[in-house]
Amino acid sequence: MKITVPHMGNVYIAVKILFDGLGIDYVIPPLNNKEALYLGSKYSPDEICLPFKLMIGNYIAGIKNGADTILLVGSCGPCRFGEYPELQHKILEHLKYNVEFIVIDAVKSIGLRELFNRIRIVGSESRKTLPGKINSVIRAYNAMCILDDIESQAHFKAGYEKERGECKKILNFCKEEVLSCDNPDKALKLLKDYQDRIRNVAVDYSKKPVKVAIIGEIYSVIEPFTNLFIEDILMDMAVSTRRNLTPSWWLKDMLLKIIRLNSRELLKASDEFLPLCIGGHARECVGEAVLASREGFDGAIQIFPMGCMPEIVSKAILPTISREKKLPVLSLIVDEMTGEAGYMTRIEAFIDLLERRREHVFAWN
Amino acid sequence: MRVGIPKGLLYCKYHPFFETFFRGLGAEIVNSEDTSKNILNMGVKVCVDEACLPVKIYHGHAASIKDRCDLLVVPRIMQVHRNEYICPKFCGLPEMIVHSIPGMPPVTSAPLYMHSKKSLFQWCVSSGSAITRSRSRIRHAFELALKAQNSHKTGIMDQKDITVMLAGHPYIVYDAFLNMDIVNKLKAKGIGILTEEFAPCAASESQVKKLLKKPFWTFQRNLFGASAALYEQKKIHGIIYLSSFACGIDSVVIDLIRFHTGDFPMLVIKFDEHTGEAGVDTRLEAFTDMLERRVLNEDNRPTYGQCLYSRQNPV
Repeated sequence: MKITVPHMGNVYIAVKILFDGLGIDYVIPPLNNKEALYLGSKYSPDEICLPFKLMIGNYIAGIKNGADTILLVGSCGPCRFGEYPELQHKILEHLKYNVEFIVIDAVKSIGLRELFNRIRIVGSESRKTLPGKINSVIRAYNAMCILDDIESQAHFKAGYEKERGECKKILNFCKEEVLSCDNPDKALKLLKDYQDRIRNVAVDYSKKPVKVAIIGEIYSVIEPFTNLFIEDILMDMAVSTRRNLTPSWWLKDMLLKIIRLNSRELLKASDEFLPLCIGGHARECVGEAVLASREGFDGAIQIFPMGCMPEIVSKAILPTISREKKLPVLSLIVDEMTGEAGYMTRIEAFIDLLERRREHVFAWN
Repeated sequence: MRVGIPKGLLYCKYHPFFETFFRGLGAEIVNSEDTSKNILNMGVKVCVDEACLPVKIYHGHAASIKDRCDLLVVPRIMQVHRNEYICPKFCGLPEMIVHSIPGMPPVTSAPLYMHSKKSLFQWCVSSGSAITRSRSRIRHAFELALKAQNSHKTGIMDQKDITVMLAGHPYIVYDAFLNMDIVNKLKAKGIGILTEEFAPCAASESQVKKLLKKPFWTFQRNLFGASAALYEQKKIHGIIYLSSFACGIDSVVIDLIRFHTGDFPMLVIKFDEHTGEAGVDTRLEAFTDMLERRVLNEDNRPTYGQCLYSRQNPV
């Protein structure tokens, strides 16, 4: 069995550490690129959302590199993400690729026993003992957390750093080095070193950079290829950004959801505008916008793929938040035809607006 | 008390319930007019750009009666069957309406779970409390409403030499303005129509069971199950799928049906704000012409050099 997983931001690094630790054969498809997008949009339904198309591109690249099993997480609605495996399986079958899907689905839809069965299929490939396996899983989880921490620190400190571009440099080196390291323990050590380095970046807190919260649909905010590397662009503009939705947050959220202790603060903040869970991360998006205004952010950028159902609802609500909480919000909708120039112009204009707004006489009432 | 009920989305399916219930409480019902160009324009003006056409039209209906009522019923239909959703936009409908249309009267925002009588009654209590505090009156109106709803049947069954299945969400199939009166256009062409309501239940359930995963959208289960069952039982000669642009559920369901039925004739018509009918007419005509030739003139002999049975390699 050779496993492949679709891309989502930096998840591939944690996956690599996990499978290296477990000793399972795997293929990491090449990072999302034009070809994945081309193949994906060629074989997917027209109106399905962008993540679906990119994932199809990833699978095909993975299969061409020898993968025969696809590992995927699932959900049970009401957002389209839960139906991905069904349709993707049919598409790959139609293309005459012989692959198996292992969907780590929500307990609610497949039951606990089936879930453990599926995990066992993956686990039985590994020759490690049970404690060894658990150890590898914990190590991979730790790696994901550290990586997310490095990334969020780099994004936030980009506005404050004394030497422009240092955070970005550290972040890029970090990803490169960890990826080229095949020993999971060493990789974790490397990550910890980089965490220290990013913590000790020389910063000047007297600076007052523009602070922006990145909110919206989880895949398109995490996967830099879909949002045209918006965080890198903002780092270059010396804008501090914060994004709550990270892969490690998602894992934590899924686990804590069982005992209903997930993201209390976020959900409480969203109560005023959207009191119910409507699927996807619409509620989180609304909550983050409220929190961002409370924490003194200058603005928020909402990103979602064209046609994303939950985010359309939150887009309808955001203007009210913007008006009541005095938080400018820019909604960016991405699909396979997003042109870079128009996108850049809008981001630049928005950042300019935020800068000038501070100096405006009416800014603080 | 005047209670406004917009004639959009699932009104076509559940209006006897809502109307009887609020009338039973002694309220005066204010309905919006049937969908028209005016309603559409009003909806497009206030609604989020990315929403689908039925949601925009619903916004138009709500905006057209908001000044004439004291309470607007915007049902937040979460589930019709247990553990099955309708669509995320239905779950957030009251928020979309309230935040998009300025000057709204109070709106019913309680979640509506229709899978059991008890949960349905809960919605009635929380929505009816704006009118009366008497539990017994609510209970009485609720029973009347249930009775009215149970005697309300939708669906079109009109089998002829050539019959197509008219698939699509109920609010598209039954809104003559939205779908450019396709039902009557087909009737004028002498084409029979079957809708999902008349698909055999057991057969459609067994088709749904063949899916990898149990569907979590009611629309998906109904539409996929019905079209697959009717196709397998050879009751129809083609499928006309009415959909709206950027409908998230249809983007999945249409392809599921396509993968299932292979090269069976299927016409997908997408509706959006454009109201020009010529394009739709042309496609309908072409499709029905094709069906006629296929059903009436086709002798099912292979062309020269091709195998008698499809899906095999030519000799």
